[in-house]
Amino acid sequence: MSQSDLTMGTHLSVPERSSPFAMPSKKLAMWLFLIADAATFATCLVAYGFLRNGSLNWPTPFKFFPTVVNTMVMTFILVTSSLTMALGVRAAKMGDQDAAYRWTMLTAAGGSIFVLLHVHEWMDLIDEGVRLSRNPWGNALFGASFFTITGLHLIHVMAGIVVLIVVGLRCRGGRCDAGDVEITGLYWHFVNLVWMFVVPLVYLLNVSK
Amino acid sequence: MVLTNRQDDRGAPYGGNPGKYLLVYFGILVLAGLQFAIAYQQVNVTAALFRMFALAILEAGLMVVFFMRLGAENRPFVTWIAIVTLLVLTIMQSSWPDSYRMERDAPPNDRSPGYRTGPSQ
Amino acid sequence: MHDKSAHAARHRVPPTGFIRKYIFSTDHKVIGEQYYGLALAAVFIGMVLSWIMRIHLAWPAAAIPGMQLLSKNGAPGGVLTPEYYLQLMTMHGTIMVFFVLTTAPLAGFGNYFLPIQVGAEDMPFPRLNMLSFWVTFGAFLVAIAAFFVPQGPPLSGWTAYAPLSALGEVAGPGQGTGQVLWAVSIAIFCVGQLLGTLNFISATLDMRCQGMGLMRLPLTVWAWFITACISLTAFAVLMPACILLVLDHVAGTSFFVPSNLVVNDQLQPHAGGSTLLWQHLFWFFGHPEVYIAIVPAMGIVSHVLITNMRRPLLSHKAIIYSMVAIAFLSYMVYGHHMFVSGMNPYSSIAFSLPTLAITIPSTIMVLIWIGSLYGSKLRINTASLFALGFISMFVSGGITGFFLAQPSLDIMLHATYFVVGHFHLVMAVAALFGIFAGTYFWFPKVTGRMMNETLGKVHFWFTFVGAYCIFMPFHYLGMAGNVRRYQAFVDDFMAPLMPVHKFITIAALITGAAQLIFLYNLIHSRFWGELAPQNPWEGTSLEWSIPSPPPFDNFAGKLPVVYHDPYQYDIEGATNDYVMQDSPASINSVRGEK
Ligand code: HEM
Ligand SMILES: [Cu+2]
Repeated sequence: MSQSDLTMGTHLSVPERSSPFAMPSKKLAMWLFLIADAATFATCLVAYGFLRNGSLNWPTPFKFFPTVVNTMVMTFILVTSSLTMALGVRAAKMGDQDAAYRWTMLTAAGGSIFVLLHVHEWMDLIDEGVRLSRNPWGNALFGASFFTITGLHLIHVMAGIVVLIVVGLRCRGGRCDAGDVEITGLYWHFVNLVWMFVVPLVYLLNVSK
Repeated sequence: MVLTNRQDDRGAPYGGNPGKYLLVYFGILVLAGLQFAIAYQQVNVTAALFRMFALAILEAGLMVVFFMRLGAENRPFVTWIAIVTLLVLTIMQSSWPDSYRMERDAPPNDRSPGYRTGPSQ
Repeated sequence: MHDKSAHAARHRVPPTGFIRKYIFSTDHKVIGEQYYGLALAAVFIGMVLSWIMRIHLAWPAAAIPGMQLLSKNGAPGGVLTPEYYLQLMTMHGTIMVFFVLTTAPLAGFGNYFLPIQVGAEDMPFPRLNMLSFWVTFGAFLVAIAAFFVPQGPPLSGWTAYAPLSALGEVAGPGQGTGQVLWAVSIAIFCVGQLLGTLNFISATLDMRCQGMGLMRLPLTVWAWFITACISLTAFAVLMPACILLVLDHVAGTSFFVPSNLVVNDQLQPHAGGSTLLWQHLFWFFGHPEVYIAIVPAMGIVSHVLITNMRRPLLSHKAIIYSMVAIAFLSYMVYGHHMFVSGMNPYSSIAFSLPTLAITIPSTIMVLIWIGSLYGSKLRINTASLFALGFISMFVSGGITGFFLAQPSLDIMLHATYFVVGHFHLVMAVAALFGIFAGTYFWFPKVTGRMMNETLGKVHFWFTFVGAYCIFMPFHYLGMAGNVRRYQAFVDDFMAPLMPVHKFITIAALITGAAQLIFLYNLIHSRFWGELAPQNPWEGTSLEWSIPSPPPFDNFAGKLPVVYHDPYQYDIEGATNDYVMQDSPASINSVRGEK
C-alpha cells in the first residue's frame, strides 16, 4: 500500500457547521438552566402536595380579604410584567434601544411592586404567628411549605429584578445586547410561569370558604 | 466572556404587530381569573385542584409558546426540551400513591374512618 | 485547504500569572485536571476509610493505631464505637459517590477532552466552568469539615434516610451539626454540577468544528453529553431536597419526620412529615446518579477498545442509542430502591418493569463490545486491560441487578451484602476501571510523558483479582443473610460468616495497597516518564492531532476541519492502518469489508 492510493480531499464531504437547535449558546444555556429550575420548583411543589394530601388537618385560613385580593393583584402585576418584558425583548431585537430600556425598567418596576406586596403579606402572616415551624391554625407544615415555596419564588423574582436593571441600564447607554435582554426575558417569563402554579396550589387550595 | 461559535439565531424574526402579545396577555389574565373563581366553587379539594391545575398548564403553555417564543424555535429543540421536561415532571408524580399512606401506615385501600382518626396530633 | 482550516478561532492570550494559570484558571484543561486531582484526593480518603471499616468488621475489638487522634469519643483507645463505624461509612459512601465517581469520569475527563474532541478551543462558558470547579471544591471542604465538628460526621449513610437524618442530635452522634454540614455540602455540590452541565451540553451542540457532524463525534463525547443531560435534572431535584432537610434541622420544620415519633423515650416535637418523601426525592436523584457515574466510563471504554482493536465497534449507532435509552429509563426506575420501604405495593410493580427493561440497552452494549472484540487483534496494554476489566465488572455486577429488580426477590436481598456486592461491582469498581482506562490512555496526551506499562499491568492484575476477591464474597454473605450497615456480626447466624469477612478484609488491604503502585506510577511518570509522541496509540480522534501536552487554545489559534467518522481503522492504503478525523485523505476501502 502506498500514499498513491489516497486521493487528496476531492470527494470528501465536509458538512457546514451547524447547531441542531439553531440558537445562540447563551440562549441554550438559559433554557437548560430553566429545565433544571423547573425540576427544582416541581420538587418543592410535589413535596408540598404530598404532605398536604397525607395530612388530616390541613388548615385553610386564607380569607378573601386581604390574602386572596392581594394574590389577585400580585398575579395581575406579574402577568403584566411578562407583557412588558416581551415587548422589551421585541424592542431590543428590533434595535430600538430606548424602548428596550423603558420596557425592561417597567418590568423591573412591576417586579419590585410584586416583591413589596409579597413581603408585606409575609409580615402580616408573621404577625399572626405563622412561622416555618408552627402556625395558629393547625398542621405545622402549613407554614413550612408556604414560606419555603413562596420564598424560593421570591428569591427568583429578586434576582430577576437585579438582572433586569443591569441589562436595562446597558440599553440606555446604547450598549444594548439584544441576546442578553432575550435570555433575561426567558428567565423572567419562567419565574412568572411558576407563579401560575404557586397561586392555585399554595393559595387557592387553602382559602376559607 | 462567552466563547461560542454560534451566534446565529434562526428562530422566527421579530417584528410585525405586537397585538399578539396583548392577546396572549389577556388570555392568561382570563385563565388566572378563572382559577380564582374555581377557588370559591363548592367542590371538593381534588376537583378544585384538577380544574385549577389544568388552567395553570394552559397559562404556562401560553407563556412558553408565545412569550418565551418556544413556538418559534426549531423542531429538534422543541422535541428535545419537551421530552426531557415532561419525562422528569411526569415521573416525579410517582410519589403520590405513598402520600395516602403517610399517617395511616396502611395499604392504600384501607380508608376505614377509625383508622384515619388515629393518634396523630 | 488551508483557507478552510484557518476558520476563525478568536485570538486569546494565555494567562501568565501563576494564579490565573493554575488556580483560578478558565482553561478547560486545567479545570479538568483540577477535577481529576480532587477526585484523586477524595478517592484516597475514601479508600483509607474503607480500610478502617474493613479492619473493624473483621476484628471488632482491635485498636487501630491513630484512630483516637481523628476522634477521641468515636474511637476511644483506637477501637471504633458502633456509631463511629457508621459515621466513617457515611463519609466513605458520600466521598466516593459524589466526589469521586461524579467528578472524575464526567467533570475530570469530560472537561479535558470534550472540547478537544469536538474541535473547539475551550468550553463555551469558561468562567462558569471555573466556578463549577470551585463550587464543587467548596462542597468538598464542607463535607470534610464534618470530621472536625465535636460529634463528627453523620451516621445515616450516603442515602441519609429520614427520620434518622432529620431529627438532629437525639438520633445519634453526628446527626446534628454533622448532618447539616452533609446536606449543605451536597446542596452546594449540586449547584457546581449544574454549572458544569450547562457547558457540556452547549459545547457538544454548539462548539463542534466544521465537518464534525453529530454522528462523527467520538463515543466519549456522546457519553459525556448524555450524562450531562441526565445530571441536568437529577441534581436539580436533590438540591431542594437537601435544603428541606437542612430546614428540618435549623428551622424546626418537619418535612421528613412523622408525628408522634418517640426516640430514646422522648416524644419528638416534630409533626406531620413523611419519611417516604425523602426516599422518593433522594432516589429520584439517586438512580440517575448511578448512571451519571457509569455512562462516561462506557464511553471511555468504547473509545479505548476501538483504538486498541484497530477497528470500529459492530455498531456505532447502537451504542449511542443504548446510552440514550439508559438515560431515558434511568428516570423511570428509581423506586426499585424502595421495594421494602413501605411504599405502595402497586408502585413496586410499576418500578420493577422499567428496571427489567433497562437491562436491555445494557445488554446490547455488552454484546456489542464482546462481539467486536471477538476475532480482533486487540493490542494488550494497561488501558485496554482496564477496559476489558470494566466489561467483566459491569457484567458480573449487572447480572445481580436482574434479581434485585424483582420485588419478590429483593425483599430477601435488600439491605444485605448482596446489594453492597451488586453496586460495588457494577458502579464503584466498573466506573473506577473506566477511570483507570482513561488515565492510562490519555496520560501521554495530558502530560507529554508515557506511564510505565509494566507497573500498569501489575496494578491491573492486583486490582482486577482483588476486586473480585472483595466483592464476589459479598454476594454469598448477602444470600446467607448478612445484613448491611452493621458494625459487627456477632449474632449467631452471622458469626459463622466471620472467616469470609476476614478474607475480604485481607483482600481489601492488599488491593488498596496495590493502588500505591498506581499513585507512584502517576507521579513518577509525570516527571520522569519517557517522553510521549503526539499519537502514541495511533488514535484517530482530534486529541491525537495536536501536540502532547496540548497548547493553550488546543489548536493553536486555528480550528480543525473534520473529514471522517471518528474511528477509521483498518484502512487500505493509509500510511499506517488508520486515517485521522482531520486528515483530508479520502478513504477507498476498509480492509475488513473485502
Ligand atoms: C442491570 C441493570 C441493573 C438493575 C436491574 C439494577 C437493579 C438494582 C436494584 C433493584 C437495586 C436495589 C436493591 C436494594 O436496595 O434492595 C439496586 C441497587 C443499586 N444499584 Fe443497581 N441495577 C442495575 C445496574 C446498576 C448500575 C449500572 C449501577 C451503577 C452504575 C447500579 C448501582 C446501584 C447502586 C449504587 C445501588 C445501591 C444503592 C444503595 O442502596 O446504597 N446498578 N440496583
Ligand atoms: Cu437504581
